Amino acid sequence: MKDVMTQTIDFTLNGKAVSAEIQGHWTLVDLLQQGFDLYGARQSCGQGLCGCCTVVLNGKPVSGCLFLAALADGATIETIENNEETLDPVQEAFIEAGAFQCGFCTPGFVLMTRQLIAEIPEPSEEEIRLYLTGNLCRCGTYPQIIEAVQKAAARMRAA
Amino acid sequence: MNAFELALPDTLAGAVSLLDPEDPTIRVMSGGTALMLMMKTDVFHPTQLISLRRIEPGYSQMGLLPDGSFRIGAMSTLSDMEHDDALAGFAPVIRQTMKLLSNVRVRNVATVGGALAHGDPHMDLPPVLVALDAQVVTISPEGERTIPVAELHAGYYETILSGNELIKEVIIPPQHARRASYLKCTTRAVKDWPALGVALTTDLDGDTARDTRLVIGAVGEKPIRVAEAEAVIDGQILSDKTIAEAADAAAESVETIEDELGSAAYKTQLVRVYVKRALQQVANQNA
Ligand SMILES: Cc1cc2nc3c(=O)[nH]c(=O)nc-3n(C[C@H](O)[C@H](O)[C@H](O)COP(=O)(O)OP(=O)(O)OC[C@H]3O[C@@H](n4cnc5c(N)ncnc54)[C@H](O)[C@@H]3O)c2cc1C
Ligand code: FES
Ligand code: FES
Repeated sequence: MKDVMTQTIDFTLNGKAVSAEIQGHWTLVDLLQQGFDLYGARQSCGQGLCGCCTVVLNGKPVSGCLFLAALADGATIETIENNEETLDPVQEAFIEAGAFQCGFCTPGFVLMTRQLIAEIPEPSEEEIRLYLTGNLCRCGTYPQIIEAVQKAAARMRAA
Repeated sequence: MNAFELALPDTLAGAVSLLDPEDPTIRVMSGGTALMLMMKTDVFHPTQLISLRRIEPGYSQMGLLPDGSFRIGAMSTLSDMEHDDALAGFAPVIRQTMKLLSNVRVRNVATVGGALAHGDPHMDLPPVLVALDAQVVTISPEGERTIPVAELHAGYYETILSGNELIKEVIIPPQHARRASYLKCTTRAVKDWPALGVALTTDLDGDTARDTRLVIGAVGEKPIRVAEAEAVIDGQILSDKTIAEAADAAAESVETIEDELGSAAYKTQLVRVYVKRALQQVANQNA
């Protein structure tokens, strides 16, 4: 990378106003890892296919690997690290269902699941599969992931 | 990725003025999903990217026009189109298409302008918009012009847009009682890039088909409208016999090209099977 152009951006990261000096070619994944030591969003495919790099930008999940950091100036970004102290119902359900093995894909699945339940409070298995087709689990824990999503959705409906 | 400058003009006209028709390394970026892939794989080395993210908010909006047609601003995301209830009422086929197009995160970022200008023949939306007889309105230093989406694509990753011409909006004419269908065949995962896409609209007022538009995507260098099959359908009742004849006519007339998703012969067979299914689906839809 011969890019030497740097610039400063200001944005909201997990509820806090922050600024960062970035390089022009950085993606959101570079920004979070190199600027803030946040490794929850990680690059795997680098092509928008697998969801390991999911971050929530202005309220919507996006692939951090395909989004220029420079364009996040003024934006609101949430990552899996946004509730470090406590677990939310989605995270609890993933643990209870054993919905991971190595855990590499889990931050992406959790962030996508929160969005899924916000959009479809009572998702069918088919709706879950469709919504999460852009997330890959190389350990193949899909049955447990579906169970976790259903569990979390049920709990959030009851709450 | 190489070093590049990033410009964030606050008007679409401002973006146009930054482009140089002689210099293809200066490009606009809408959602950036296609461009970022090309930059990360070293296929595209920009010197300057002109992001459209700050242009007038009207270009991210959509709605019915007084004349009954539907306008979609070029910066509307595919998710915006998927979730817009007015658009779903106007042309339900668009929401159906979105559900199986890529994934939620890509749809949250990719724009309709980018989806049309990119020119990859393996895309779902272009054939659907051709079948709906949509047009794009463009802006360049010469002014504005209106281009049918059917004429926008010139070849593999090529459009007829000049180097400093940008898509401003998409206009879909009133569909009245027209029925529509889009079927996609994928060979790996359900939401993969299409190995074949079949978009179909027709007027079935009474039982007789009229003004059919049948468009095949992902088998050639650009979306292909199949006049030979349309001629078989128009003026007929969509009987099993007509449907089978139309499917054969499509398979015989569409020139398919092999790609990583299938051989030419396989794609020809897909054309036959999916044109038939699309016609059956339209015939069975409730008016
Ligand atoms: C993982 C993944 C899976 C995908 N799967 C599918 C799929 O199954 N089906 C499918 O159809 N597509 C698929 N796509 C492609 C996706 O639809 C396109 O990448 C997207 O539509 C491009 O839109 P964009 O706004 O991101 O374009 P950009 O990347 O911003 O731009 C693409 C091109 O269009 C030009 N451009 C952008 N806006 C304008 C404008 N207003 N006027 C003129 N030129 C403009 C740019 O200069 C560039 O050349 C997939 C993409 C990814 C990353
Ligand atoms: S790393 Fe971004 S989607 Fe796979
Ligand atoms: S738990 Fe290992 S990739 Fe999903």
